[in-house]
Amino acid sequence: MHIVDGALSNPVVIGGAIAAAGGIAMGLRSLDLDRIPTAGVLSASFFVASLIHVPIGPSSVHLILNGLAGLLLGWAAFPALFVGLLLQAVFFGFGGLTVLGINTLNIALPAVLTWMIFGRLIARGSAIQGAIWGGIGGAFSIAATTAFVAISLAMSGDAFLPAAKLVFFAHIPVMGIEAMLTGFAVMLARKVKPELFKKAVLT
Amino acid sequence: MKQLVVIATLMLTPISALAHKVIAGVFPAGEAIEGELGFSNGDMASDQEVFVYGPDGAELGRTVTDGDGFFLYIPTKPVAHTFKADLGAGHVAEVTMSANEVAEIMGVAAEVAEIGAQPATFASVGTVMVASLSDQERAAIAKVVRDETRPLRREIAAYREHNDMQSILGGIGYIVGLFGIGFYFAARRKMAA
Repeated sequence: MHIVDGALSNPVVIGGAIAAAGGIAMGLRSLDLDRIPTAGVLSASFFVASLIHVPIGPSSVHLILNGLAGLLLGWAAFPALFVGLLLQAVFFGFGGLTVLGINTLNIALPAVLTWMIFGRLIARGSAIQGAIWGGIGGAFSIAATTAFVAISLAMSGDAFLPAAKLVFFAHIPVMGIEAMLTGFAVMLARKVKPELFKKAVLT
Repeated sequence: MKQLVVIATLMLTPISALAHKVIAGVFPAGEAIEGELGFSNGDMASDQEVFVYGPDGAELGRTVTDGDGFFLYIPTKPVAHTFKADLGAGHVAEVTMSANEVAEIMGVAAEVAEIGAQPATFASVGTVMVASLSDQERAAIAKVVRDETRPLRREIAAYREHNDMQSILGGIGYIVGLFGIGFYFAARRKMAA
């Protein structure tokens, strides 16, 4: 999921950086006092989640958790995920500093999309219904991220379809795991702190 | 049914690459440049085409990795060599060997050739010790040393990629700090309002 330095053409990198800066500005504006701890915790979860490798057959993939971040944070997912990505680049060498913008965009924009599409749905009905929508949202955000990564690669000259397929199929297991995680997280939050989602929908 | 088979094959193909960092390294190996290409989890990139570029961006040549992710390239010009490989899905490896190192390698090659041509004369002061060895012996020794140090090099590369507890905790510390700063600004905004 982390595109490395040098893999993308300059226009894509620059465009990604500008778009990410816009998203971060949007996020910072919506980040009020009550949401900062949530953002911090999700940022830390995202930072650590990438180290948890899930072995699937001959390959292994890592969790991303951007769906959950989006559902809980809305636009504030941008700064939260940006911080996580920045630290991953500095500490672990995942991705790189020049591609930070486009990586942020690829991971945070699906999070925001997930929030826009599923944010209302998870707050409605029973906790179980909310959890199911949350699960679908979690899987959707990963699928959207793979599509975004493939688009970035395609705009830099890679053929779109093979790249998209490769990234998409490799992440099917992650989608499943994240759907479960997000679903349960939504269910738990609905039971323990139902106002969490109401607020996210209102802002 | 056909689609199912395609999906199954795609899923079973080892695309472990995606979640990992690319490791690439080049080192002098006698009269050639030896390099290795792989991922931080220990998977090596086999049968991967590697492009070699000069400092001006002109392509100098190509080479292909073997089953263990190693490739060999014999330089022809004493300029900086940049090795690039596209491992797919956004994984691009790029390593450069400086002009000095390449020149040294080529110097070795020239020396070897010289010694081969005139076995009686010593090519230079530096080679007095080894000049008594034949080409084959030198090559054999170089190969043994390379083979012996290969696991070490690989271990060092893997170690460099190792994420220890300290950096994880350090990262979390930074997150706490950054969001603390966020708190400060948010609180100020609230006080002002």
